[in-house]
Amino acid sequence: MSRLDCEEAVAHLYDYLKLELTPDLVEEVRTHLDRCCDCAGHARFEQQFLQMLEARVSKETCPNEVRARIVAALRAAARGS
Amino acid sequence: MAEPSTAALRSFDEEALPHLDTLYRVALRLTADPTLAEDLVQDTMLKAYRSWRQYRPGTNARGWLLTILRNTFINDFRRRKHEPVAMDLEAVEPHAIYRSVQDTDPEGTFFSQIVDAKVVEAIDALPADFREVLALSDIEGMSYGEIAETLKIPVGTVKSRLFRARRQLQARLYAHAVEMGYIKPREAPR
Ligand SMILES: [Zn+2]
Repeated sequence: MSRLDCEEAVAHLYDYLKLELTPDLVEEVRTHLDRCCDCAGHARFEQQFLQMLEARVSKETCPNEVRARIVAALRAAARGS
Repeated sequence: MAEPSTAALRSFDEEALPHLDTLYRVALRLTADPTLAEDLVQDTMLKAYRSWRQYRPGTNARGWLLTILRNTFINDFRRRKHEPVAMDLEAVEPHAIYRSVQDTDPEGTFFSQIVDAKVVEAIDALPADFREVLALSDIEGMSYGEIAETLKIPVGTVKSRLFRARRQLQARLYAHAVEMGYIKPREAPR
């Protein structure tokens, strides 16, 4: 069975955390993280980073006045004006 | 071109309008300019509405809309905005910030000290291709496959752009955290 070294494991970390790896690779990364404190720490750090990004930026919403303007433009287009 | 019917408008309202927040956020990241973002979203919605017959109901409306957003941005908006001066992307292999903080802040608590506006500013300072994949993946939660389809690029390109985008963003946030005294600097490993 092939074993990932630290460099390879780190290269796959984001894709591992985003659930974008094939099952084989997931298994290999998980095995590596179970045995390697350094990479496991690195994985926790990257997880924090990804969570922070999502939590901070996905809160932004389209302002009401912009939404209203767009809906008005769509209604106007529907009337064929 | 004939305008769609009232029934079409109703289905457009149901299937397309719910994605307005996503379109707005992605437009903000693409343009890095709220005024341009508003125009971009409006143009996108009008184009989408006019070609609504080409959309197959029940398929991926979000992806379909984002493709229109992107094409509109490239065709009509890109030249209207100033792109940040790209770092030499090929030359600089971004190192993992974890190596700089693993002894002092391995959990990355410094991230939580950075205010939202600075996070947004750091994202908007990335090159456009990077902001785009980062917004779609890490902010909107799209899968790599869905992003590849939306942007018409291979999944491998999505992965490598994301990798570099995340590393560059971390480097910017780290530099800001050091500047603000949230974290003590440490020499990057060679
Ligand atoms: Zn390791």
